[in-house]
Amino acid sequence: MLTYVIRRLFQVIPTLFVISLILYGLLALKPGDPIDEMRRGNPGFTQEDYDRLREFYGLDKPWVVRYWRWLGRAVQGDFGPSRQFGRPAAQYIFRYRFPNTVLLSGVSLLAAVIISIPAGVLSALYQHSLLDYTVTVFNFVGVSIPIFWLGIMLIYVFAVLFRGFLPAGGLATPGVTGTWPVFLDRLRHLILPVAALSSLQLAQWTRFMRSSMLEVIQLDYIVTARAKGVSERRVIFRHALHNAILPMITLVGLNVPLLFSGAILTETVFNWPGMGRAIFDAILVNDFNVAMVSLVFISLLVLTFNLLADLAYAVADPRIRYD
Amino acid sequence: MRRVVVLLLFGLAVSAAACWAGPSLNNLNIGATQEPSNLLPWEGAADTKENIMGLFNIGLTYFDSEGVLQPGLATEIPTEQNGRLLLFRDASGQIIRQEVLWTLRANAYWSDGTPITSDDAVFTFEVQNTPELPVTTRAFSNMIEEVRKVDDKTFWIVYSVPNLFYANVGGSIGLARHYDIAPKHIWEPIYRQVMQQVRANPEKASEIVEAQFLGSPPATGTGTVVGSGAFKFEEWQINQFIRGSRRVDFFLDSPGPVQNYIQEVTVQFIVNQATLLSAIIAGQIEASDDIGLAGQDPAILQAQLGNQAAVEVTPSGFIEKLNFNLFPECNTAADLLLGDKRTRQAIIQAIDRDDLAQTVFPGATVSNSFLVAGDVGFNEELNPWPYDPEAAEALLTELGWSDSDGDGWLDRVTEDGRKVTFSLHWVATTAGFRIRTGEILQEFLADVGIKLEVENLPGSVVFSTEYLNHGSECTWRGIVEYAEGGGIAQAPADPLSNELYAFDLTQPVVSEVADNVPLPANGFAGTNIMGWINETFDQLRADALKEFDLEKRSEIVKQMQVVYNEELPTVPLYDRVEIVTKATGLVNYTKGTAAARTQFWNPWEWGWEQNGAIAIR
Repeated sequence: MLTYVIRRLFQVIPTLFVISLILYGLLALKPGDPIDEMRRGNPGFTQEDYDRLREFYGLDKPWVVRYWRWLGRAVQGDFGPSRQFGRPAAQYIFRYRFPNTVLLSGVSLLAAVIISIPAGVLSALYQHSLLDYTVTVFNFVGVSIPIFWLGIMLIYVFAVLFRGFLPAGGLATPGVTGTWPVFLDRLRHLILPVAALSSLQLAQWTRFMRSSMLEVIQLDYIVTARAKGVSERRVIFRHALHNAILPMITLVGLNVPLLFSGAILTETVFNWPGMGRAIFDAILVNDFNVAMVSLVFISLLVLTFNLLADLAYAVADPRIRYD
Repeated sequence: MRRVVVLLLFGLAVSAAACWAGPSLNNLNIGATQEPSNLLPWEGAADTKENIMGLFNIGLTYFDSEGVLQPGLATEIPTEQNGRLLLFRDASGQIIRQEVLWTLRANAYWSDGTPITSDDAVFTFEVQNTPELPVTTRAFSNMIEEVRKVDDKTFWIVYSVPNLFYANVGGSIGLARHYDIAPKHIWEPIYRQVMQQVRANPEKASEIVEAQFLGSPPATGTGTVVGSGAFKFEEWQINQFIRGSRRVDFFLDSPGPVQNYIQEVTVQFIVNQATLLSAIIAGQIEASDDIGLAGQDPAILQAQLGNQAAVEVTPSGFIEKLNFNLFPECNTAADLLLGDKRTRQAIIQAIDRDDLAQTVFPGATVSNSFLVAGDVGFNEELNPWPYDPEAAEALLTELGWSDSDGDGWLDRVTEDGRKVTFSLHWVATTAGFRIRTGEILQEFLADVGIKLEVENLPGSVVFSTEYLNHGSECTWRGIVEYAEGGGIAQAPADPLSNELYAFDLTQPVVSEVADNVPLPANGFAGTNIMGWINETFDQLRADALKEFDLEKRSEIVKQMQVVYNEELPTVPLYDRVEIVTKATGLVNYTKGTAAARTQFWNPWEWGWEQNGAIAIR
């Protein structure tokens, strides 16, 4: 197992290198650079200004030269400054964006897992009952409604119709201080985006859990357990759920890095300053350093969580070995 | 469990109520869709930054809502009459040099209580012209020979070339347009330290400057931010809001007791327009900035808001235009005869511009000039080019176009015997109103047999130099649509047409290539992206550049508009407007004319009527 883990970890380095090279190349191929953005918003911006600033920021060099320079700094932890916000790109992402994404995604993930597993199990155990049909209807609704539309509707109902019962967006209310008011204020700002963001996963995972449970409770060893007189609770929770939940581990594991990359639609609709919007905005306004640090970090997360999911699977299922 | 839920709901309700702060606390929450990149005086000039900086700073002068230039930090506006503007002429009478005397108000202080002095002006210019620093623009400061201190409150600015806009905000020392003078006592230690390191390690200059100058605490709002304006900077929660509190020692007076006016302003950054609208309707936001609601229909918006807030429509100072690629190197221009003014005249008459404007930009008015209506140089007597598809068809027939194969599209045989169809490429950004514009233009032009191929690209692509300035290499063909600023009373509003049009009277010619057409020979410099050259227009422009008298200059500019209106190197569509909402009771939050540029020109006058504030605007 250890050899396997070490081998996988070593594979991460060349993979990240190739990913960063491709990403940098793609960003460089896009027409425009940060100086164009300055020119757009600036009266009296002359060609001399343009040439001078391109030279200052090294943008007059070929992209391969710029990449090597970027890589040289990046391996030392310096990803360059954000042109949008005048501070180190890594600091901007990890101090101002990543924690917000972790908060929103974490709560959404937690809500989706906590609700989807029991809902899926109950739906399977009471197949074809009113409960099952109700859960199924909600699942189809959750899968079918686009998140951005659901988000706008939630805002319309809770912020507009109920006149600000819940905020239309944002992370916090300016001027709120003190532990308890800040906690409540943050909670108010979280409710709608979490509801929107978790809706799709909640629906998908509930369906998945239901199918998985239905498959498992029909297997021979469950029938045997019941025939041996094991209590129904023990059959379900000890034997059936234990195996039915295995594919969920992989599913959730693979979804975790996606959550960290941010949910661009939810973040945009709810004005939540997270990673998804940061990447989107950075690419739009040619803030290359922010785009690079975010995308490379997400790549690293994907690689890491793929490995963790593989390892978790081995821990949960003794039939799987990596030696 | 039930008790916890009840407590939580109660807490949420109380917390919700706390958000309805506005008038009750004499505060103001403004919503904006864009956020400034930094608070550095020497770098960046986006509209949002201008607004934010307007809260915390004021220039030597400012334009009020009537479009009148008023003294800000200065005691008076320098003119030849008051002896503060000295113009030196050569034997032919040409102005070759200019000196301007400024006196700062005795009661002008920085927000930390330090007096604002001539030393601040001298230092600001020193930084502005430091070659190692990535100052955004030196268009004005390059004209300055010296900023010379006379005493603590008086200084001369000596220009080696005439600067027509010496008195405008940003036109004197040449900082970005929010203000003219930066606090020396805050920036000097940072500047000296940075320059010492840069000169010791020139190969690492950009890294040092980026980290320690652009990323310095006063620039990023993480340290002491000191300004000259009506509000004192309090905090910047990045991606969320910027907050400022009222200064009691600000030198310009409110119309009544200062406590009756806004005491705290928060500008919240809400990127999504729909979310911003929801927040406004929900009452979380009491006023919007001049950018956030672009393209909204003011009538529908007012109906949604009812009596809760008023919708104000003001001129933006920008004109939406169709720019033609006239480079003969591109087959499109030659085959479609775009270089012949009759083609352009046919296109302008084929479009019902009034209908277009009201559909895509409600409140906007049709334009026939490169200047916005209401500008001092605006020519009222131009050909209005009314919607006249028959006239358009007649011109196209005159040019040899006909629908020979009956497919509905015009075609003609070129001199070299090729049959070409009138298929025109149109490019614009992905802004909603421009997507709709493409659809409408397609319909109008189809009626006269012109096939419009529509393409919407991200703004960062359309406005990139590699794309826009390389029209001679046919990166774009046919038409590119965007908005340009147009006004001669103030500093140029938009860089894209700086060298071409009259309002760019600040710009010396920057390339050897005539008319600043971007070509390989000049490294694609210049903003005459169409490649339009007209000798009469050039001569008039040269005359205008020498004319200090605004009335005389306006007359020349009116003649330039006649040439433009006949030649139509661009088809002006409409003067854009800005849509701003302000909650009922909020007074003096108004821009008025395009000259004021933004609602943020007079924050010291903002107030709630219910708290005793007096409406004077």
